[in-house]
Amino acid sequence: MADQTFRLPDLGEGLTEAQLVAWRVEEGARVEINAPLCDVETAKAVVVIPSPYAGTIHKLHARPGESVAVGAPLVTIAAQETPTTVEPEDPAPRTLVGYGPGAPEAGVRRRARVAPVATGEPGADVRAAPFVRQLAKEKGVDLARVTGTGPGGRITKADVEAATSAPAATSAPAATPATPATNGERRISVVGIRKAIARQMVRSVSTIPQFTEFAIFDASALMAAREKQKAGGRSLTPLPYFIQAMVKAVRAYPLMNSSWDESRDEIVVKQPINVGIAVNTSQGLLVPVLRGADQLDLHEIADRGAKLIEGARAGTLGPGEMSGGTITVTNVGASGPVETGTPIISPPECCVVAFGAIKPRPMVVDGQVVARPGAWISISVDHRIVDGALATEFLTALVAELEKVSA
Amino acid sequence: MADVVQVAPADDPVRPLFSPAGELTAEARATLGLSPDALRDLYHKMVWIRRTDQEALNLQRQGELGLWGPYQGQEAIHVGTVAALRETDWIFPSYREFGMGMCRGIDPAEMLKLFRGVSHGPWDPRTYHFAPLVIPVASQVPHGVGFAMGSRFKHSDDVVLSTFGDGATSKGDWHEAMNFAGVFQAPVIFLCQNNHWAISVPLAKQTAGSIAERAQGYGFPGIRIDGNDVLGIFAAIRTAAERARRGGGPYLIEAMTYRMGPHTTSDDPTRYRTNVELERWSAKDPIPRFRQWLEGQGLLDEAALAAINREVEAKVETMRNRLRATTAPAPGEAIFGRVYQHPSDSFLEEREEFESSLESN
Repeated sequence: MADQTFRLPDLGEGLTEAQLVAWRVEEGARVEINAPLCDVETAKAVVVIPSPYAGTIHKLHARPGESVAVGAPLVTIAAQETPTTVEPEDPAPRTLVGYGPGAPEAGVRRRARVAPVATGEPGADVRAAPFVRQLAKEKGVDLARVTGTGPGGRITKADVEAATSAPAATSAPAATPATPATNGERRISVVGIRKAIARQMVRSVSTIPQFTEFAIFDASALMAAREKQKAGGRSLTPLPYFIQAMVKAVRAYPLMNSSWDESRDEIVVKQPINVGIAVNTSQGLLVPVLRGADQLDLHEIADRGAKLIEGARAGTLGPGEMSGGTITVTNVGASGPVETGTPIISPPECCVVAFGAIKPRPMVVDGQVVARPGAWISISVDHRIVDGALATEFLTALVAELEKVSA
Repeated sequence: MADVVQVAPADDPVRPLFSPAGELTAEARATLGLSPDALRDLYHKMVWIRRTDQEALNLQRQGELGLWGPYQGQEAIHVGTVAALRETDWIFPSYREFGMGMCRGIDPAEMLKLFRGVSHGPWDPRTYHFAPLVIPVASQVPHGVGFAMGSRFKHSDDVVLSTFGDGATSKGDWHEAMNFAGVFQAPVIFLCQNNHWAISVPLAKQTAGSIAERAQGYGFPGIRIDGNDVLGIFAAIRTAAERARRGGGPYLIEAMTYRMGPHTTSDDPTRYRTNVELERWSAKDPIPRFRQWLEGQGLLDEAALAAINREVEAKVETMRNRLRATTAPAPGEAIFGRVYQHPSDSFLEEREEFESSLESN
């Protein structure tokens, strides 16, 4: 069957390009009409592009992170026969709104000149927006020598810039993942997870007045409990214990599991407790969510938590498994000498809890300094909801829960 | 000495149908006089226009439309309003009333030509008594009032419905229209679809008081009602229209609803509003709500739902195929074609010059 190439449309009234964030399909995969193909980010929004054709993905024309010009090929689909097309197949090139039929061919649809144009005026015979002409003038670029890559052969800002950096070049490709290096600087385009993290962190720090408190807890009971589990044939990491203690402390202090609703001047106390687990992955920080943690026993927390962490690392989790958290836990002491940190709240939550590594520490017991296993805990909380006194009570309760772990 | 100001318009048959919170009373709901088929048809149309909305969004993302303004969440208003009016009553919509146009019988594939940029006006307003969709905010409100005044001067009992969003009530045109309607007792129903967002500006940052109660200042009644209840919309519009028909004058209905999607396909609502808010309104989604009510009344079962979905999918597929086969008119016709019924010589010359300039290039 014939291949059909889908070109990137203008997704938002006058855009010239979009950045490919992620593919949702692979080459060789079958797609139906309207099945999600990819996520792209324009200057206006991140949007999902649904497939216009049913068939087999023949070729993906761009890689995540790349900038794709409007009108450039995005995906080629080996189409199967459309079952119920009302109209006969149209031999003419497919018209895409905003930039005419298929591949832009120079001279096919020239702009009409109703009034005579003064001859000899620089750039009179080229297609370029006024600001692009201005830019060319400033940079001393002769537009007549530039090949346009925009809709209908229009010269874009990127074309002018490419012509400046390579004076002899005919038409350097406008779409590259990052701008070429100058003065040893390197520019890395920010897309996907990096961008999502950045947005979420800016939102947190710029909207939530947060403060952090620290404590050290005695992990003797916790380590003994782990030994007991091990003897029963079950090997557990400290994480499920942390989560279980956290859930118990939250039950006593439900405000820690809440959100600030700016639009209504209300605090929304959440039910159930959905624990976000911060996971470091090759793609960056991901936070899968353990739903209804208050309804789970220790082993269920361990099993489901492990599955979520695995899924996050493998990149197999859906968006539903990474949203809806009501409180977050992060592990800062997994490796290296770091004891603790000041975690940043994940909006719209109220609280984030960071656990450090459990290791032998000098502790004073009955007036004697003894070595016992212990770890740092730090909590950051939203001061609009929780004052220092309440945060301290919560942290105290959390330490108490951890120090009396028995199972 | 000052005259006494009369604040409460005497004739208000709409208000007794609703609770103070704007909910249709059980008694009013029980006496609407709609047959089971008519009730099921309201549901069918709501599903159809929502699915069409989703498809139009897909078509925009596929480059088949230049722009799309989704109306998801406001289907009860679209469907309930058209069902409550007579076919000869006029509707003056904004740009978001695509679903109302569908309910008036306009082929959605034809209507989409507007959003594809291949037609300035794909339907004859006089055939459907449905004015063109307009982009300039609130411009349709004085149009509707003028048309209603004309209807009265002609001694016709056709009424006019002019619909707009909460943002439009901040515009000068809106005030002028309301004032004229009150002074001339125009047979017009003002339907404010208060969806809480004027693009990215929340209601609270745009409007300090009540929109519905402003009607009093123009000399006619107004009411705020639940805009996600199709039967409430139907009852309010029908009653206000009957009142206007018998010479009672204008009425303002503020229907509280929520735009669940972006303002248009060029907008990203996650930048200015929270998921919490969306979830709160999703719980009041008009379609599942009405479905549950119908099921509770024993008017809708699994088989009927499946049949509706099948029919809707088929209609949407036809629309999709028809739209994709649509081509643009020739540039000369697109620009000069529908300007004059009898074009002047100089206008025709200009067209010829334009068309020959295309050929010479």
